[in-house]
Amino acid sequence: MDDETYRKYKKLGRGSWGKDLSLWKTMYLGFINLAKEEEFNPFVEMFANMFLRVVNARKEGKPIIMYPFNFEPALFIAMNLTPLMQETFSVGLAPLKLNEPYIDITNKMGYGDTPTLCNAQRPIVGAYKQGVAPIPDLMFFTPTPCNAITMSYQVFQQLTDVPYFTMDVPYWAYDQLNEFYDEKIIDYMVKQTKDLIFWLEKETNQKLDLEKFQQTMKLVNEARQNVLEFNELLKNVPCPMPSLAGFMNFTAMATHSGTIEAVKATKYIRDEAAENIKSGIAGVPDEKVRIAWPYTHIFFDVDLLPWIEETFQAVVILDILGYYPVLPHDVSTIEKCYESVAKGVLDFSMVGTCRGNAEFYIDFCLNYVKDYKIDAMIIPMQFACKHAYAITRIAAEAVREQLGIPTLIFGVDPYDSREVTSETIKAKISEFLTQVVL
Amino acid sequence: MTVMEKLSQAIPLANPWINNWRNEGKNVLGYFCTYIPEEIIYAADILPVRVRARTCSAGDTPMGDAYMTPTACSFTRCCLELANQNQYDFLDGIVSCNSCDQIRRLYDNIRFKAPFPYHYIIGVPGCVSDTTHEWFKHEISKFKESLEKNFKVSISDEKLKKAIRVYNKSRELLKEIYNLRKHDNPPITGTEMLNIISAGMSMPRDQFNYLLSQQLQELKEKEGISDYRARIMIVGSMLDDPEYLKVIEDLGGLVVVDSQCLGTRYFWDLIDENKNPMDAIGERYLSKIACPRMAGKYPERVDFMMKLIKEFNVDGVIFQRIKFCILWWAEIFMLRNKLKDEGIPFLELEREYVLSGAGAMKTRVEAFMEILEANK
Repeated sequence: MDDETYRKYKKLGRGSWGKDLSLWKTMYLGFINLAKEEEFNPFVEMFANMFLRVVNARKEGKPIIMYPFNFEPALFIAMNLTPLMQETFSVGLAPLKLNEPYIDITNKMGYGDTPTLCNAQRPIVGAYKQGVAPIPDLMFFTPTPCNAITMSYQVFQQLTDVPYFTMDVPYWAYDQLNEFYDEKIIDYMVKQTKDLIFWLEKETNQKLDLEKFQQTMKLVNEARQNVLEFNELLKNVPCPMPSLAGFMNFTAMATHSGTIEAVKATKYIRDEAAENIKSGIAGVPDEKVRIAWPYTHIFFDVDLLPWIEETFQAVVILDILGYYPVLPHDVSTIEKCYESVAKGVLDFSMVGTCRGNAEFYIDFCLNYVKDYKIDAMIIPMQFACKHAYAITRIAAEAVREQLGIPTLIFGVDPYDSREVTSETIKAKISEFLTQVVL
Repeated sequence: MTVMEKLSQAIPLANPWINNWRNEGKNVLGYFCTYIPEEIIYAADILPVRVRARTCSAGDTPMGDAYMTPTACSFTRCCLELANQNQYDFLDGIVSCNSCDQIRRLYDNIRFKAPFPYHYIIGVPGCVSDTTHEWFKHEISKFKESLEKNFKVSISDEKLKKAIRVYNKSRELLKEIYNLRKHDNPPITGTEMLNIISAGMSMPRDQFNYLLSQQLQELKEKEGISDYRARIMIVGSMLDDPEYLKVIEDLGGLVVVDSQCLGTRYFWDLIDENKNPMDAIGERYLSKIACPRMAGKYPERVDFMMKLIKEFNVDGVIFQRIKFCILWWAEIFMLRNKLKDEGIPFLELEREYVLSGAGAMKTRVEAFMEILEANK
């Protein structure tokens, strides 16, 4: 980022944003300082503006809607709402170790403990108690993939008195070739999408502009197409991008899907991957090992993946979130747009793989390992993630038995460095890669 | 043999009632949650039996620990353990639902590691609306079709209506017994009540109703219990081990009511017998007093709990939560604030599925009893 741009963004972070935005401001300033050393690419611009958009929404009295990581916010954008993905806090604060004070406050308040309730949601409870996180005007969530989301949003509601809407996510598949196919699933999701729109219209006292909705869904499609092409490019050997690249696409889709910014950011990274392949550039020079990481990153340790790359010449191709399987759809009519929203909910990262029977996750692992020519699988499993943790072993067995690929599974809290330390994690990975894989 | 003794015969996993049923050449299905519509199974002339795992030794669940993982609740770990040991070999299949993350993954692990001849999972919506009601009817219709196909039976509306009547009868009788517990001198302990409900989930329902009617009559004529120190409500999830309640009642706390899976949340709401049977079943199960997994129903759950506290003249509430249970930790967190506001004393007990550490529990319950007595 050049000096002038840096000063411009730094200046926008000056002055008081209000107590409830103090954590938000901390994250913004941390982000700008980190980005200072980087190229001012569309991702940096998108996230810098995301922070500022929330501040401006507060000033202008524009409704803020909070939602979890498992939903594309395009519909909210089409309705001129300001989306605020809740996990921006827990993921954003983790590398700074700033989740931990709020996790401790949450513990003292008696809302769960680390092995029971996911720390993707818990820190904000402590932050609300301290008055340092913005209380939204509306909340939306789906009770999938996990109970932690369902319960946390009910708790948020009790703490903040903010109204929420829930969309159920069914257990079945809409693909006719899938053994768990249900022919009515899309109709059900479309009906619920319309219920959500009705609720939003009522709460915000406005009608959805259908033309704008369709335009927004076209932008969603463009970004989905870019991500799809990017993930295809990662199948190249050697992988053209370093380990965290796919996760950036996920963050774009989870926070900005339906905006031109998300289209630009996903195009930028896709083009970079394509250019690297053309120029013979690998994400990890002299790539030796290709790792599947079918769970989330360990957010508190930003040095872990670079360490894996440098120490073992290994590349982590995609995490479960970066493995973004939502396809572009026909959005030529409004009814098709609803269908596209519905399929987006069903297929979204982690939702598509974890909302149904274990086969959803097992097939995801098998396809991932086959398609990306994987040498080893590493699953750093969040202790509290009951739905995923309890199927990792059968998934690992399937991958070993059908494809001969080994898996390392270990418990961790990706949001709290005190539970399992970086040193312990590195020791486990090191032992696995040296003793089993290399 | 007293009626209670007869009912107690149905409490073990494999019991004479189930054996007799099987000896008639009929099937038995195990199920896991209060959201499973037993009526549909019963209408197929299949015996629905709630899967429990009380014979599992606490801390001795290597299979459960390995596959469900050590941070899953001990109920699910125990069930997988017993399934792996073939202790459910009296079952012809299992029916589960996505009631919580751990139960739905237990279903997966059973299918992969300790399979039965038949498995089915019902996708219960995570919230209640007109749209999700329609969907749930679709879900239970698919379940009905699956039973018909796999067990080569026909489930007619007439059979469903009959099953609804039989199960509603149980609900009415259980409610009548609960009403007796509102008295100053209730004729039955919480431990006995839990045994009755457990028995009902493990024997043919018409025979259960017959015994339950007799039990009700006996209780009506019985002199009530007066030597208790406080009237207790138990709130929480899957608790079928009467030893927990016995610890409380041995210390003078008489359990007079509950909001539990094996309690009011199981039987409180009736099915409308005047509607199309599948519609009525769907409506009842999705709208019944909800488990915390059902988003948006917290206010109703609170109202229900407060109503019971008042009607049963409760002195104090004991929350029981199986370690690592997401749903109940969050629910208790919310309920705690409510009870504080209402000035109702409460105690929170974290527990394993099967009783262990009774000493520590006794100490805490005794201290709670003293607080309740001091409040009188």
